[in-house]
Amino acid sequence: MKFIKKNLNLFSLKRWIRNKPVDFIVTMFLMLLILWVATLIVSWFILEANWNVVSDNLDLYAIGSYPADQKWRPMIWMLSLSTLTIITLTWRRKGILQKSLPWIWILMLPSGLVLMAGGPGLIPVASHKWGGLALTLILALSSAFIAMPLGILLALGRRSKLAIIKYSCGIYIDSMRSVPLIAILFFGQLLIPLFLPVEFDINRVVRAILAFAVFAAAYVAEDVRGGLQAIPKTQVEAAEALGLNPKQIAILIMLPQALRTAIPALTNQAIGLLQNTSLMAILGLVELLGISRSLLANPNFMGRYLEVYVWIAAVYWLICTSMALLARRLEQELDPNILTIKSNEISN
Amino acid sequence: MTKRLIYGLISLSVLLAGCATIDTASKNSRLDVIKNRGVLRCGVSGKIPGFSFLDGDGQYKGLDVDICKAMAAAFIGDPTKVQYRPLTAPERFTALKTGEIDLLSRNTTFNLSRDAYQGNGLTFAPIVFHDGQGFMVKKQSRIEKINQLKNSDICVGSGTTTEQNLNDEFQRLGMAYRPIKYQDLNQVIAGYLQGRCKAMTSDKSQLAAARSSFSNPNEHLILNKTISKEPLAPASIGGDQRLSDAMRWVIFALFRAEELGINQNNIYEKLNEAKTNQNLSSLRRFLGVDGEIGQKLGLPNDFVVRIIRSTGNYAEIYERHLGPNSNVHIPRGQNNSYLNGGLLISPPFK
Repeated sequence: MKFIKKNLNLFSLKRWIRNKPVDFIVTMFLMLLILWVATLIVSWFILEANWNVVSDNLDLYAIGSYPADQKWRPMIWMLSLSTLTIITLTWRRKGILQKSLPWIWILMLPSGLVLMAGGPGLIPVASHKWGGLALTLILALSSAFIAMPLGILLALGRRSKLAIIKYSCGIYIDSMRSVPLIAILFFGQLLIPLFLPVEFDINRVVRAILAFAVFAAAYVAEDVRGGLQAIPKTQVEAAEALGLNPKQIAILIMLPQALRTAIPALTNQAIGLLQNTSLMAILGLVELLGISRSLLANPNFMGRYLEVYVWIAAVYWLICTSMALLARRLEQELDPNILTIKSNEISN
Repeated sequence: MTKRLIYGLISLSVLLAGCATIDTASKNSRLDVIKNRGVLRCGVSGKIPGFSFLDGDGQYKGLDVDICKAMAAAFIGDPTKVQYRPLTAPERFTALKTGEIDLLSRNTTFNLSRDAYQGNGLTFAPIVFHDGQGFMVKKQSRIEKINQLKNSDICVGSGTTTEQNLNDEFQRLGMAYRPIKYQDLNQVIAGYLQGRCKAMTSDKSQLAAARSSFSNPNEHLILNKTISKEPLAPASIGGDQRLSDAMRWVIFALFRAEELGINQNNIYEKLNEAKTNQNLSSLRRFLGVDGEIGQKLGLPNDFVVRIIRSTGNYAEIYERHLGPNSNVHIPRGQNNSYLNGGLLISPPFK
């Protein structure tokens, strides 16, 4: 408070101008510049922007060309996903909730797939009708679901003592990392059908998910390997001395610690994966970005790219921020220091 | 033991022969694949106003899309049995070649190197839209001729014939220019409006469509000069005569129906007329009452009726998406029937 008073009073302002005139001019100039840009942006938002390109098409951004009479299915899924996110972030966990929350999260993907594709009691909806945010989420979640275990196996394989496993995992990881993602996606979307007979037909969404998964797995493997290397060798030796076999060492000692260490890096991967799904817009899947670009060609909304891009930027920002918050929550939950403090409290 | 081996070999060879015949049958024509699948996979742009775009209710609309619907109506009998595959300009031919899509209805310019065996190896259906490349400038720039564009920045979509024509024209005139390349037309428009370039170039229909969406259309001028012919036509993979013949005559049916004044509203009237009046032999043939024009193409004999009742004739399709009441009004000009002084003409259905 004292500091602010001292700086704000007129006398010191005069002294500032006298002592450091250049400093003063630069500061004033930058402040005016910031003010000017801010007014431009605000006036665009309020006066110029015409947001009906967003408000008229909310359904399209959410679910794309999904049949209108079935649209409650992806809607319910995304609604429950966001509710679950809010619950996880805000509620204090005790007892049942604490134990069931991870399982509910794991169940979100299969339930989403069943709701989208159709299953018992639901009319099947072909995947070429999926679109919008629902498709973006399905792509990101499913490929992460495959990439995660695959990446862990690759990371363990790379540290294997068997030369064949070690080198084949190493070659896989390095070759995947040296190919750009877009090339793998192109391969999956355009070249795989070339090798297969015309009647044999793999779903395009599945091909995209697999392409993302094999790519992300290589990066996940390196993140997990980083976590594995953070574990002191003495722990392995101690475990061996206790008579644990290699499998037990990996599952009970190494992985829990390695994965915890790797959480920040894995979060990076997850957010990157979600944003990379927008590449599919180039390859003709109408996910969030794809649907926006198609909408811009609608004669009613032509030339309104700024509104549309600001809007989808906000949507991506919201999703990525909640992912980051969820990951931080998970980190706190698994933080070994907090656990030890708690146990100390109990013993005291 | 040997007996078993012989039996085994015989059954194996029978199996292989069976596979072989199935394989050759499937290689015969994509048309059968489409019919068996019951769904037509149609490559569209999805990003060109008036030709193919996503409507507010999540459906694709436009002239290119209606061509797909007409094909599906003729091949499968249901205009809704189409799977639209939005494609960017650079990937469209790959998608066709790999069999991702059955046919391409995506503002594609018909030219030699795309048609030729040693080129892209496509087969083109008749031209559904005659277009030509032009330039649009801001009126305040006071540019009225191409010569005045010397040394200026020009916005252009990449991977298209537009880019090539621009280069050819400026080379011919011996003028330097700087191309500013974008991925799709909407980005070209955005770049032009933001003042990234003095002029934008594209097919004139696109320029007109873009201009009609601007807040002040009168401030922009489309230069008179047309620097290229851009005949846009649907395409399929080359060397598949049955599919390409079927596509060709579906388009001609749209033209012919306009010539005969048959449209979505009066198709059943005309059909009844043809059925009752023996003397209208050419109409009877056209609508499949007499003769076997459909069967020769591997289509139902009444395929024309199926097309017209689902999409209407060419004039109706044009009016719907590019007519004066649409948001993208482009005067019909060359795209009129030859009866009205345009270039569209259908050979006889005999």
